[in-house]
Amino acid sequence: MIAEGPLAEAFWRHGRCAACPVIDMHGHMGRWRGIWFPRPSTEAMIRTMDSCGVRLLVFCHHHALFAPDVGNDANIEAVRKYPDRLRAYMGINPNYPAAIAADLRRYDDHPGVFVGLKLLASYHGLPWDHPHFAPAWEFANARRLIVLGHTWGGSRIDGAEQVRQAARRYPDVRLLLGHCIHGAWDDAVAIAREFPNVHLELTAVPRYQGPIERFVAEGLTRKMLFGTDLPWFDPHHAIGAILSADIRDDDRHDILHRNAERLLGIADCGFRIAD
Amino acid sequence: MTNDLEFFDACACIGLPAAAPVGVPDPPGASAEELLAAMDRAGIAKALVWHAAQRDGDPLLGNDLLAEALAGRDRLVGVWAILPTQCGELGDLDEWLGRAMAGNVRAFKAFCEQGRYLLRGEVIGDVVERLLAARLPLILPVATEPAWRDAYDLLAEFPELTVILTDLPSWGADRYFRPLLGRYPNVHVEISGYIVDGGLEALVADYGAARALFGSNYPVMPHGGMMLTLAHAEIDDADKQAIAAGNLQRLIAKVRA
Repeated sequence: MIAEGPLAEAFWRHGRCAACPVIDMHGHMGRWRGIWFPRPSTEAMIRTMDSCGVRLLVFCHHHALFAPDVGNDANIEAVRKYPDRLRAYMGINPNYPAAIAADLRRYDDHPGVFVGLKLLASYHGLPWDHPHFAPAWEFANARRLIVLGHTWGGSRIDGAEQVRQAARRYPDVRLLLGHCIHGAWDDAVAIAREFPNVHLELTAVPRYQGPIERFVAEGLTRKMLFGTDLPWFDPHHAIGAILSADIRDDDRHDILHRNAERLLGIADCGFRIAD
Repeated sequence: MTNDLEFFDACACIGLPAAAPVGVPDPPGASAEELLAAMDRAGIAKALVWHAAQRDGDPLLGNDLLAEALAGRDRLVGVWAILPTQCGELGDLDEWLGRAMAGNVRAFKAFCEQGRYLLRGEVIGDVVERLLAARLPLILPVATEPAWRDAYDLLAEFPELTVILTDLPSWGADRYFRPLLGRYPNVHVEISGYIVDGGLEALVADYGAARALFGSNYPVMPHGGMMLTLAHAEIDDADKQAIAAGNLQRLIAKVRA
């Protein structure tokens, strides 16, 4: 049954758990060049969320990140369709500063759609401290927005040094380290401990044994956030891996939903999970 | 049904890797005893096991360490690393294979990138011919593009060979493995790295459940991820059980001593 404890039992039996309604803080949507996705559509993703007990997904559509001709309209359309299940990050592509300015100007035109911004600097080829990113950082800092940044160990574009610099310069941004500076776990721990505004977003992390236990042992449980890159990765895989980790169910509740509820300021987004 | 699934893990490892992950506690499951304890916790009955030294140190040392570790532990079935025969490292090939079979080895693995050899007939043909004759599976790690090219090369030469593709990259690899499943009837996918949402269901729908093998990639990965994924995949219960254990049991049962 994977592991001991009530959460493992509930997920093992039912695939979901009413007492543990998962919030996924790192998703995408739609087709993408590098992978064939069997379930890339909004509807298919909602179906996956239902089967895995994911009550809310915060995502940024692939088009908003990789197809500048479409941009953030794809995000708005999806959230409007499923306002109880989806929230979006506004995608920021630093190669198009005029589009960033236009998007930020209309941020307030879509209440209930965006919770913050999404940076994918490694893929866009410009580092976090590039001047083209500055308006987005300043906008987020002034409004205390969430910024989910893809972060990767060893990267000069969005690795540990860029993260430290941004966390220091924009202390009011609630900065989510997507993938926890993947592989540079020592840096992720040090930065999360040093900066109160930094959180550890776990997409692609639970599949490895060790980092989850390390973060919890370092006292960072309340800064850890569940994520999957959906439609990239099956949420059951990450949930099962977290159930396998040598931590307590109380920690798992923090990781799977409580921390995100606090961050998003929601106690209930209106969706019930049946056992 | 979920609670009744029996698991036979097609991808587990013992031994210490030469390059351990930095920043995490020592990897668990380094010994056969620790692996068995972790399997007990997760609810896994049996495992097909290789040794880290086969990949990182010396294939022959790794084979010996594995044989020693697995002796008397029937729940663990061995995987030995192959090598080309031209340098004489395996000694008498039939005698070497006989020792493997006597040590409960039922599959072989080619670490050709680390071993710096090519997966071609002129290199490993004599080994592959014997695997074919005994219906022994050859496990091919396919984490990188060159490894996929090697797998394509080998299967073009030996289309009947029983192959288990393992170490799939975490980005969905359908565009790599589907052509192989479509063309070669004895190719199988070990699914520990295949975690794309809906991927397992699509694989089963298009190629049948017989082509997928449950694997955990323990101790690099925890057991529970793929177990929960398979337990709640939208496929029928018989297919789940086949993937969880039945397909690997069938492959091993076909092996001729």
